[in-house]
Amino acid sequence: MITRRLLRYLIPHRKALIGAFFFLFIATAAEMTGPLLIKVFIDDYLVPERFPSTPLIFLGASYLGLHLIAVVLQYLQQYSFYRIALAVIQQLRMDVFGKVQYLGLAFFDRVADGSLVSRITNDTEAIKELFVNVMSTFIKNSVLIIGVVIAMFLLDTKLAMISFILLPLLFGLMQAYRFLSFKVYRVVRETLSEMNARLSESIQGMGVVQAWRQEKRFADEFDEVNEQHVQANVKNMKLNSLLLRPAVDILSIATLIVILTYFGIGVGDSAVQIGVLYAMINLLGRLFEPVNQIMMQLSFLQQAIVSAGRVFELLDEKELAPSKEGEGNPEIQEGRITFEHVTFSYDGKTNVLKDISFVVEPGQTVALVGHTGSGKSTINNLLMRFYSLQQGRITIDGNPLETFVDQELRKQVGLVPQDPFLFVGTIRDNIRQGNDALTDEVVQGAAELVQADSFIEKLPGGMNEPVVERGATFSSGQRQLLAFARTMAQSPKILILDEATAHVDTETEEKIQEALYRMRQGRTTLAIAHRLSTIQDADLILVLHQGEIVERGTHQELLTRQGLYHKMYLLQQGLKEEVNV
Amino acid sequence: MSVFKDLWWYFRQEKKNYIAGVFFLLVVGLLELYPPYVVRLVVDEIKQQTLTSEKLLQWLGVLALTALLLYVLRFVWRVFIFGASYRLAQLLRRRLLNHWSRMSPQFFHRHRTGDLMAHATNDVQAVQATAGEGVLTLVDSIVFGGLVVAMMAISLSWKLTLIALLPMPILALAITYYGKWMHERFRTAQAAFSDINDKVQENISGVRVVKSFGREEREKASFMTLSEDVTRKNLAVAKVQSLFGPTISLIAGIAFFLAIVFGSRYVIRGEMTIGQLTQFTIYLGLLIWPMLAFGFLFNILQRGRASYARIRTLLAVKEDVQENKGAISTPATGDIQLNIHSFTYTEANVPVLRDVNVFVKKGETLGIVGRTGSGKSTLFKLLMREMDMVDGEIQIGGKSLTDYQLSALRFAFGYVPQDPFLFSTTIAKNIAFADPKASQEEIEAAARLACVHEDILAFEKGYETVVGERGVTLSGGQKQRISIARALLMDPEILILDDSLSAVDARTEEAILTELRREREGKTTLIAAHRFSGVEHAEQIIVLEDGQIQEKGTHKQLLANSGWYAWMYRQQQLESLIVKGGGGG
Repeated sequence: MITRRLLRYLIPHRKALIGAFFFLFIATAAEMTGPLLIKVFIDDYLVPERFPSTPLIFLGASYLGLHLIAVVLQYLQQYSFYRIALAVIQQLRMDVFGKVQYLGLAFFDRVADGSLVSRITNDTEAIKELFVNVMSTFIKNSVLIIGVVIAMFLLDTKLAMISFILLPLLFGLMQAYRFLSFKVYRVVRETLSEMNARLSESIQGMGVVQAWRQEKRFADEFDEVNEQHVQANVKNMKLNSLLLRPAVDILSIATLIVILTYFGIGVGDSAVQIGVLYAMINLLGRLFEPVNQIMMQLSFLQQAIVSAGRVFELLDEKELAPSKEGEGNPEIQEGRITFEHVTFSYDGKTNVLKDISFVVEPGQTVALVGHTGSGKSTINNLLMRFYSLQQGRITIDGNPLETFVDQELRKQVGLVPQDPFLFVGTIRDNIRQGNDALTDEVVQGAAELVQADSFIEKLPGGMNEPVVERGATFSSGQRQLLAFARTMAQSPKILILDEATAHVDTETEEKIQEALYRMRQGRTTLAIAHRLSTIQDADLILVLHQGEIVERGTHQELLTRQGLYHKMYLLQQGLKEEVNV
Repeated sequence: MSVFKDLWWYFRQEKKNYIAGVFFLLVVGLLELYPPYVVRLVVDEIKQQTLTSEKLLQWLGVLALTALLLYVLRFVWRVFIFGASYRLAQLLRRRLLNHWSRMSPQFFHRHRTGDLMAHATNDVQAVQATAGEGVLTLVDSIVFGGLVVAMMAISLSWKLTLIALLPMPILALAITYYGKWMHERFRTAQAAFSDINDKVQENISGVRVVKSFGREEREKASFMTLSEDVTRKNLAVAKVQSLFGPTISLIAGIAFFLAIVFGSRYVIRGEMTIGQLTQFTIYLGLLIWPMLAFGFLFNILQRGRASYARIRTLLAVKEDVQENKGAISTPATGDIQLNIHSFTYTEANVPVLRDVNVFVKKGETLGIVGRTGSGKSTLFKLLMREMDMVDGEIQIGGKSLTDYQLSALRFAFGYVPQDPFLFSTTIAKNIAFADPKASQEEIEAAARLACVHEDILAFEKGYETVVGERGVTLSGGQKQRISIARALLMDPEILILDDSLSAVDARTEEAILTELRREREGKTTLIAAHRFSGVEHAEQIIVLEDGQIQEKGTHKQLLANSGWYAWMYRQQQLESLIVKGGGGG
């Protein structure tokens, strides 16, 4: 099943594959002709001691010529197989990466980042081994074996038939090895990963181990898995020694005995051809190396199949990101947002939002406040359509959220996330977000709007300054400004702001506040605020507690109410005093 | 070759195995020379028509015996040599772990887990290959290769040997050269692979941003570019890799050709029989492997040497904290006297702690509060002697920390960090970590004290629930409480809670603290906390700021002080009201 699905990836490469096979056949044929030519030489010229120069030169030239052709074609076919294999893996990687791009956030919440990365990279790499080494070894050596068998038949049909007894033996050996090695090899892999897990755990938890004086116990336990791994390795090595090369060698000598007996018994007939004997022995040597090669790859085959299973599982994942539903292609013109009786749960057990309703008129700013876990971020996540709605309705300009196409939604609804995640590239790349339609002027304009231009100009590379992993070389304030700029460059109708909690110096803080103010002009804004000072001018403030809106009103209204908002305000005023101390 | 000298101690230690292994390897080499000899005899006798069935039977019988012997001996030498190489790897891994278990936390800050793991996996692997395949290829290439050549030259024809061997050095050279070439390209390909690894990591960590900008297609495009780069670089590897087979085939083919052409002349002149020529060409075939082995040998040794050097460097790192000679082994107990004049981390220039002088009477509780970075954790680290201080002294029971053996010191402490580490085993085993023989009752009692018993029972498998990567993911608060239970099970002389209730809600915290006060009557407890409710009942509270004691006293005294402590306390009161959602109050 898995194998067939993997092989299907070869279909687009059938032409190249046919070409590679063609090279392979010719190369093998040319290679097999060598011993036959030597046979002719020995029987027709050397034994009768006749040496006419023309035929001999012709014979020698053909031998060398054919050999050269064989060698060149061998190289070409080997390289072709590699190329096909790598192209297949490239396709497989693109497929699985592309698939992951369109999975829903619910999937990412469920699956650990590390294991997902490992499937896209390490597992496909293991499959690469399958195509690159296993496949080409199998094909090449199978053809080689067939070639040797044909050459043997051409030399002496009877002897070739007798030598055939060997094939079931070889086949049996291979099957036995495949069966036995699968188990043993698995134990080797398992003990290895167990041992590595223990090592890595010991390193991370060494402080605890030492604090509780468990070094001895840990060392003893490690010794145990260490020993198990060595035992598994020894077992694997013994199995390999019993069934791989040494076993194939004994079969090879057995065949030699058969050949020698065959010719030896034939003594009576004077017609015994020494050349045939020579060629047979030579071919024999060529028969067993491919067998060794194939058998060595058998245990890797199993490994790759397991990885392929994991990759296909991901390719078959059903948890896709929500996308457009229904007829029509509504556009976002005004930016009026409504939430109507929205109730939502991530796990299907606890509701993180309970019956949330509110309206944001075009151009208005609505602020969400509340402590951690009150449901603020969930409101953002739903409006961004990161998750499918369960109960209630969200509309933009009167159209249900589900009816918008992705592009329209992503273009008109701009999110400024709490963690201003930057990508590796340049500053310009980060502001442009790969949208090539944005001109340099637009990028520059966006930077100016949020006042990021002053610090960008000071960088040695300006707009082309490289951004390293997660933008680690920039201060958190600078990262925030860049995150603002990239959102503003898309000039969305609706802004979703998730205020960063990171502390920045006063000067940058002022810039950030100024930038936020400018960004909100002429846009509908939904803002999560941690610092209440930043949203005092909001048209409406919603105070959330445990998934419910417990208070709503303007800053002044809420203060006079002396409720939760009032307390939060007092708390923050206090903290501010502390900062000023 | 120098790596063999470096590993000589191991070869000596395992000399029986290596001598036996190499001996049998040589016997195998000798035996391998026999079948071609039989072929020669048969061919010549057939030619002269003197072959009798008795002779044939005799030879073939010996041949069959040789085959069996070869089979057995090939098995035997592998067990000796490869077995010894596996045990070397085992030994190195054990040494690494033992070494790490003597290292202080500072060591683990300096070396990332991934780096240390690479030593224990890749480097050990490379050294193992040196002691196994390395020895094998050395013997095969030089000794067995030499044997075959000697046999050809002495018993057959030295002239023909010379002629036929002409192309062979080219093979050895080419293989060595390809090996180096491939190694370089392989490294480039690996680097490109690690780039796509980074890209995928970035893409998945930044999935929200990717989605909010609708950049899925652009991400695909940039992944495609990187992935194509990997393909291209792997193709560059393939170009070299594909050279091995054809090169061997080419050189071997030329050697055979030379052997046949010149050998025939000797046959005609009567200097050689056809049988001998056949034997000669079979020997020639046997030489291919030693030539290859010669090429591989250098690569194996090169990698082994680099890896072994890395392992040795790591093993040579000295402990940060060393035990004094004549240190006492009785567990530390008694009053704690901290006299820290000044402490600075080696890599920093500003002191983290200055003039911290505190006396904690045995059985009392000390509360430590202060902002992040004020020096609380450093204080604990010094107390537990995770590192040594130059300027100042800490005494327990009237004796300096350095007077105790490390284990005697550690025996006194039960330390619960803010971000506790749980092992990926069952909850029960995590709680009974310091005392694996603890009974289920003791474990449950500790869990009850830490108010985590109910949480544990809520799991399907209760105390047998496996935690960590391969099991259930616990919340921060659950982890902290299990870690407290782990400490309480041991009932240590001095319990240190280093902000270890930060992820627990206020009500549970209160319950745990009440249990603690009752249970640890007469035992010393040190608590660092952000939330002041944790230290309220302490006999003594110190407020640390920038490494210095700002305020000192009981909760009441500090409140009366109306300093930072009093102000912060009111803030926290307000905060807890908000978290409770108390609109009316």
